[in-house]
Amino acid sequence: MNATWYYFERDLVKWIRGKVTVFSHLVTPAAWLIFVGLTLPVTFTDNYLEYLTPGIMVMSVLFAALQSGNLVIFDKVLGFLNKFFAMPPPRESYLFGTILFITFRGMIQATVIFCVAVLLGITIYSLKSVLLTYVVLFLFGILFASIATTIALAVDDHDGYAAINSMISMPLFFTSTALMPYDKMPDWLQMVASVNPVSYAIDNARALLSGSDPVIGEIVMLAVGAVIVLTICSYLFRRATL
Amino acid sequence: MIEVNDLTKYFGNLCAVDHVSLHVENGIFGLLGPNGAGKSTIVRILSTLLKPTGGNATICGYDLAREPKKVREVISYVPQEMALDIKLTGRENALLYAKLYGIADRSRKVDEVLELMELTARSDDLVRTYSGGMRRRLELAQALVHEPEVLFLDEPTLGLDVAARTKIWRHILSLQEQGIVIFMTTHYMEEADEYCDTVAIIDHGRIVALDTPERLKSEMEGEKTSLNDVFIDRVTTPEEESVFDGYKFRTMLRRRR
Repeated sequence: MNATWYYFERDLVKWIRGKVTVFSHLVTPAAWLIFVGLTLPVTFTDNYLEYLTPGIMVMSVLFAALQSGNLVIFDKVLGFLNKFFAMPPPRESYLFGTILFITFRGMIQATVIFCVAVLLGITIYSLKSVLLTYVVLFLFGILFASIATTIALAVDDHDGYAAINSMISMPLFFTSTALMPYDKMPDWLQMVASVNPVSYAIDNARALLSGSDPVIGEIVMLAVGAVIVLTICSYLFRRATL
Repeated sequence: MIEVNDLTKYFGNLCAVDHVSLHVENGIFGLLGPNGAGKSTIVRILSTLLKPTGGNATICGYDLAREPKKVREVISYVPQEMALDIKLTGRENALLYAKLYGIADRSRKVDEVLELMELTARSDDLVRTYSGGMRRRLELAQALVHEPEVLFLDEPTLGLDVAARTKIWRHILSLQEQGIVIFMTTHYMEEADEYCDTVAIIDHGRIVALDTPERLKSEMEGEKTSLNDVFIDRVTTPEEESVFDGYKFRTMLRRRR
């Protein structure tokens, strides 16, 4: 358990010291919020910014998670995993440390979005609703960080990973409820969106942040999905040859 | 210390390690062989990173297959690639290992290993600014935080200049004097000749020679044989067997212009 924390700490310090990356990770999603949230001419709501904020928060966790498979690929290609796995802590502690870091970094990005949105004038209903939103973001982050590391293990080269990442990240985002509600979608998109885990996270974040009740069924699905993918990923990781 | 019995490793149909048996009690053991002969594979199996297809090994009495965690507690493995976090300082790099090994008094231990590897003066600089030799010594420092009994080094002097290599060797020798068993691979025959107590030459996954450098040399005919001669005599690699055709090579170069 301690080892998980040490691996987490390693990733965190390395990230913070790469000043340019930190800046870009925090600015890019904010740009999304401002350029889409304040400019798109939508008619289904009179406060699109408030509608969009939860979607962009989830998006930043999603993109942060999917990009982060690179952390594992680099550690593998550069020989770090060889050294780590010849040490006593179990292999999973590296995996869990990395997944925690990926999730944590996504949540920091989401927080920046949230702060920008508050500055632009969205309403905060209650502290409890914000905290519950973070629980949803955490589960969602764990799910996609596990998916990313599983893909990274399977692909194990940088370019291949980048290709898969760009192939799945945009479709996942655009087939979710990030930009519009289910009833404004064409039928086919509605079907896709209703099984897209990204929608589950966004629906809940949106419900919570607008002061309504969360959709418990979808949260359970996210949690179950996270546990299943994490289990598969640990299994593959334990058996992986480097 | 290290007891290897009939170790075999297949990658698909390729036999990388072919019934290798070894016994290393103390000193510096050098594993020599051409590229792709199976040296690194053996080291990776012994440091618990790969599971052998057949055979077994014990390290300090611990069975590799049954007690990998115990094995990991008494060994250190330094791979060929220099894997250091360049955005962390030398001290932070070493401290990470002390933490992962669960060392109780870790900041004192880290100071000690950095001192031992003559890195104290630069220990708070980012590794980005370190030379190749310093990085290798930092890796040795990391490998020593838990006072291992066996040290596996895969090409420890690869890519370093002469001065850096000599320095690394001085450190390896002093570790050996403290009773640490060194199991290493190298391509530099002169180094193996000078520093190793025992060497094994491995070819196509099989041991073709195993003895002290002196005895291997004395078995060769002719005066002033070197370990290089022994190596070329024992090893057959298809790529090097074909004779270099100078005429063809020069024609090829001319055509490219």
